[in-house]
Amino acid sequence: MRVPYSWLMEYLDTEVAAGELAEILTMGGLEVEEIIDWTSADGQATDQILITSVTSNRGDLLSMVGVARHAAALLGCALKLPDCSIPQTEQPVMGERDVEQGDTRITIDDLEGCPRYSALRITGVEVRPSPPWMAHRLEAAGLRPISNVVDATNYAMWELGQPLHAFDHRLIVQGHIIVRRAADGEKLVTIDGTMRELTSADLVIADPKGAVALAGVMGGRDTEMRDRTTDVLIESAHFAPTMIRRTAQRLGMSSEASYRFERHVDPNLTLPALARSAQLIAEIAGGSAAAPAIDVRAGEFTREPITLRPARTNHVLGTELSTDEQIELLQRLGFAVKPEKAEAPGGMETEWLRAYPDREQALERLTISVPTRRPDLEREIDLIEEIAIVHGYSNLPTTLPENTSGAGVRTRRQKLDQRVSEVMRGAGLCENVSFSMMGRRDLDFLCYPEDACEREALVLRDPAAENQELMRTTLLAGLLDAAQRNVRQRVEDVALFEIGRLFFGDGSALPDERHSLAALVMGSARTSTWNLPDEYEKMDFYWLKGVLEQLMRRLHIAGVSFERGEHPSLHPGRTAQVLIDGEPVGVVGEISPQVQEAYDLPEPACVLEIDLDAVLARARLLATYAPLPRLPAAIRDLALVLDDDDRHSATRVVEATRAAGGELLEHVEVFDVYADRERVGEGRKSVALRLSFRHPERTLTDEEVDEAMGRITQNLGSKLRAEVRTW
Amino acid sequence: MEHRLREMAEAARRALREATNLDELEQARARYLGRSGILRDIQQGIRDLAKELRPQFGRLINETRAELEALLEARRKELEAGQSRLRAAESAIDVTLPGRAQHIAGRHPLLATLDDMLEIFLGLGYTIAEGPEVENNYYGFEALNYPPDHPAMDEQMTFYIADDVLLRSQTSTVQIRVMETQEPPVRVVVPGRCFRRDTLDATHSHTFYQLEGLCVDEGITMADLKGTLLAFARGMFGEEARVRFRPDFFPFTEPSAEFAVSCFACSGEGCRVCKGTGWIELGGSGMVDPNVLAGVGYDTERYTGFAFGVGVERFAMNRYGIPDMRLLYSGDMRMLRQF
Repeated sequence: MRVPYSWLMEYLDTEVAAGELAEILTMGGLEVEEIIDWTSADGQATDQILITSVTSNRGDLLSMVGVARHAAALLGCALKLPDCSIPQTEQPVMGERDVEQGDTRITIDDLEGCPRYSALRITGVEVRPSPPWMAHRLEAAGLRPISNVVDATNYAMWELGQPLHAFDHRLIVQGHIIVRRAADGEKLVTIDGTMRELTSADLVIADPKGAVALAGVMGGRDTEMRDRTTDVLIESAHFAPTMIRRTAQRLGMSSEASYRFERHVDPNLTLPALARSAQLIAEIAGGSAAAPAIDVRAGEFTREPITLRPARTNHVLGTELSTDEQIELLQRLGFAVKPEKAEAPGGMETEWLRAYPDREQALERLTISVPTRRPDLEREIDLIEEIAIVHGYSNLPTTLPENTSGAGVRTRRQKLDQRVSEVMRGAGLCENVSFSMMGRRDLDFLCYPEDACEREALVLRDPAAENQELMRTTLLAGLLDAAQRNVRQRVEDVALFEIGRLFFGDGSALPDERHSLAALVMGSARTSTWNLPDEYEKMDFYWLKGVLEQLMRRLHIAGVSFERGEHPSLHPGRTAQVLIDGEPVGVVGEISPQVQEAYDLPEPACVLEIDLDAVLARARLLATYAPLPRLPAAIRDLALVLDDDDRHSATRVVEATRAAGGELLEHVEVFDVYADRERVGEGRKSVALRLSFRHPERTLTDEEVDEAMGRITQNLGSKLRAEVRTW
Repeated sequence: MEHRLREMAEAARRALREATNLDELEQARARYLGRSGILRDIQQGIRDLAKELRPQFGRLINETRAELEALLEARRKELEAGQSRLRAAESAIDVTLPGRAQHIAGRHPLLATLDDMLEIFLGLGYTIAEGPEVENNYYGFEALNYPPDHPAMDEQMTFYIADDVLLRSQTSTVQIRVMETQEPPVRVVVPGRCFRRDTLDATHSHTFYQLEGLCVDEGITMADLKGTLLAFARGMFGEEARVRFRPDFFPFTEPSAEFAVSCFACSGEGCRVCKGTGWIELGGSGMVDPNVLAGVGYDTERYTGFAFGVGVERFAMNRYGIPDMRLLYSGDMRMLRQF
């Protein structure tokens, strides 16, 4: 809100510079975002404007008097408020639902939406532009001067916080105001010239013919003030915040009035605001009240007093404020405080109060009458906050709590998460952080078929950006996006991984959130590549698979295997399914040419994506030491020629070797593979194995090893039709 | 005889000393010390000497041989060292060519910042809790004491998936989930992603990280909140850091406070980093509202607590001098390789 400094200072009985005042208000809970040096359009007036940012619980600070009241409490100075009293002779005519007075009748149909409606008819006004002082003030406040009568109501609103509306009384049919719910489909042209279609959730001000204003939001065009208006009806009403909020939100309109009503306006402000606006109208537009004001309301608006235990203040804030100090702080806020002494403590008392060091204060109670302008104050804790604010947060002590909950340690899972990141980074992959959203476009780019579970993604109602309408079901989209961005920047060595959550569900309930690990590599992993042959330089399928194997090793997971796999985004011949104990946990492979083209990459990147929850469930934080062998192993090499297909894969060869090797076979390693038609024949390949044999207790004899080798070659021959090649 | 020996010894010494390579040395050795060398020849002549002179002369020959052999060995070593130096020079490499290691990547600046924050709170006895990123209204608003249909909800700019399915706009949702499963004392920090319908620009992002803290126990005070956040600020920015608290409003805390740290770039004098204010706003905090505690079944007379939430992005940007928030989410290798 724009708070002109010189206007504000009229209410404060003290001297304080704008900058200092702004600092005090900010530290007192009313943030002054900036101070603007302002000059009026006609160059005749200047001022400093404090731009305040009011928290949504403090509707009472949305007025000049509200700000002044708060400033006075913080500064500890007196207030000089405008006179808004109503002369005894003009006391309003009150009623509960329906009141008629002279040519005006007010009926409240919906007391819940409108608990109070006050109005005053002023006749004999002469509409003309406002005098310069008024126009300048409104301009400083950011309001457009319109004409004297309307300006007077706006001025009173800015000053007191009560939104007012001026109707041309003669345009109200039968002078009868009815506050009611709109009919579904009822139409109203508001003063901005827009036709509004209403629903029964909206509250309207109507006359017997139809709606004349959208209650608490905006007046209607047909009944607004004209240049020739002489007979005015000023509305000063109290509306239910949620009702105004819903209407304003649904229609996408926000006005000074709706902004205030949403944040609660003091229900006891309707009459003072009428009096103040009448005063101002009389001063600048002539005219006088035709009859006493009408005040229709559901009942009295009062507040239950709140009990505060001064000991509790200190217990919560960590202070040692005396009861008298607390009373003084509350009184500065304009609250009436009545001190009392509680009965001697009984069994009802809680432990902290029994242990409270100041026995005297432990028994003291304050009864505080809170004004109706502060609906945010309902409980003891609310008043403790008020005390803290006026006392000053900077004056509270600074301590550390005693630790009664023990050491702070990461959980097993948190340690494992850290380890995953460490291994991946140690392998040279950079940690990617991408958005949790993706687009349907990404799923198309990644070639997911219509029935893929990745397409069962949560859909955002109101996405923040294009291609961000879904919650991600794969981390690959984010990684490929990043790869594409890098390539566009001419960075062609890309090595990224991401750990993040995926969301699966149809949106009818909370989704299944799965932690996933994905990686993408392309180009070289080396810091430099001079003189390096390609197979050392490039991060290919086997490079990335190696990283994954290392990860599994560092997580101490046994039973990891790889089989040819399928994935819509990946090259069918270069994709492996990752299994642990036979259970699939993810995939590693080279992206398909279609995906490469969709993301416009210069070469086929290799990617992996694994279900981190499934993997880490099988991980171990700590390894168990295996004793080192005392005796040397017997090493034998074996060269085989066999068919080159999936049934004769490296894994199958190693399995068949192990199956026949017996207990003495400690380790099998593939160390050379080639498929050369000239040397091994069409559709055949050569696989060289290095076998190590060891007995834990004694040195093996050649005969023992030869025997094992015999079993192995026989098994490989019969199971895999493998021929042993001589060197 | 003796004279001849001395002359031979002198010539042999010179020849050994002057040999410039191992071949010449070998020639010298053969000539003087070899099986048919001069020394051997002199030794043969011992038979012509008188019997009583023979032992003395024999000793002299042995001494001379020993001396020359020592000299030969020494010279051989010298020449060998020289030769290996020569060989080394021939096989020298260009040591200024770049190394060919594999890259080792650092932590992402955002997550590194978060890690540092977590370390401080682990040290203060906090554990780390996590919770869902997609939430319902109960955890998102209701349990956090948001009044229904209150403007305070607008400030959250929440993404909705359905009427009762939303993306959490703050990590405070996890406060409730933690307290539902645990009795006091509670000391947790909650790192995590949050979402708000913000337009993406240099200083805003619809996806961002927060660190939430929650401490509930008997006798926890607002002074404890101040002390804890001071310890946090000092842990992050050094012992000179100061913190500032000013009243703010959050439905789930009462009293509520916005907190700021003295600008680490200018120590509070006012600069570009702190936009001249001397302070950098870090987040919101306050004493947990009794309604929140009562909602999870805690005894609000007995227990008090504080909570706070800090944004991680701005922290990270300030720390590393990253000018644009979007860089953090870009996956740009040129940026990531810097850390």
